[in-house]
Amino acid sequence: MKTTCIIVEDIQIAADFLKKFCEKSGLVEVKGHFLNVPDALVFLDEHKPDLIFLDVEMPGANGFQLLDSLTYSPKIILTTSKTEYAFDAFQYNVNDYLKKPFTYKRFLESIHKVQGLPAPGTGPTPATPPPSDIDFLFIRADDKLVRLKKEDILFMESMRDYVKFVTPGKTYVTYSTLKSMEEKLGGPSFIKVHRSYIININKIDDIRGNTIYVQGNAIPVGKGHKEELAARLNLQ
Amino acid sequence: MNELRSDQFTFHERLNATFLAELFEGDTIYAETVFEDFLRDLPTYWERVQTSYQHKNLPLLGTNIHTCKTLFGYVGFTDLQELCQEFENKCAIYTAEELQTDFATLVRKKQEAQHIIENEYKRLKRYNEGA
Repeated sequence: MKTTCIIVEDIQIAADFLKKFCEKSGLVEVKGHFLNVPDALVFLDEHKPDLIFLDVEMPGANGFQLLDSLTYSPKIILTTSKTEYAFDAFQYNVNDYLKKPFTYKRFLESIHKVQGLPAPGTGPTPATPPPSDIDFLFIRADDKLVRLKKEDILFMESMRDYVKFVTPGKTYVTYSTLKSMEEKLGGPSFIKVHRSYIININKIDDIRGNTIYVQGNAIPVGKGHKEELAARLNLQ
Repeated sequence: MNELRSDQFTFHERLNATFLAELFEGDTIYAETVFEDFLRDLPTYWERVQTSYQHKNLPLLGTNIHTCKTLFGYVGFTDLQELCQEFENKCAIYTAEELQTDFATLVRKKQEAQHIIENEYKRLKRYNEGA
């Protein structure tokens, strides 16, 4: 059975892409497209689609205001071109976050995630151990796949569509997102301390005010991350 | 999606060809539609940008630039997207007077981009008619 959805999006080209991708996938049926939050809420009063593709920045009310007004719990995929909303997205427990414009491949990954299916191109049960049990990861940098030992990573910094990995000897930049790296790393050693930074807590030299120092690098601590950081470092 | 032809369409060098290849997956018919839609929608959105700039309504200017930024992305102008993002961020910090030079640059880049997309649209149309 197909997942039913609505699209809340004020940019027609973006909505058209989504409709096309839904149709192509054969997995999702679009029940409506709304250009603003109030119109979508009127529809949602009577209908309960399984999934909402939700833009954040729209004229009038924004996507988060729609989330605040929901009377049931559909799956939510945020679609926005602003990466700054990623942290808010996680606070709202959205199921995924698509940065516009996105490809069909990325769309399909997102749908599989929402439907609890294995990622496209993977088998039903991975034979490999979960990522947190592996002590290294491969990143694509300098036109090759580089093997990085997790324990060597000092911190990672988000640079729009890229992530910078800082190790004691070298810095690598790879095309990825901090969110994706956060999922890959797992484990107790890494923590997001700012929307743009994940640090290896074993490498912290000292903390002064809202700044963490790691081998001479000053890393800001975001307001929303202080509590979790304090708990992880047994500072509470 | 339509079949790839042996004489594959090559996008203008200013556009992010790698991304466009992933986005359209060789479907030049759909690419033509999107480029056409871009040319249809951009003037409306850009008029909102001009109006909010003239009224020195910087929060609204930022929002309107945000919309244009998304549009530029769908036709492969990823560098212009970054410029829009920078300008959008500046709208939260600077005054309209302080943004004059940046805005002038953005207007010029937008005009260049629009011109390129107009030509790309014509080329796509010709290419698809020859399919």
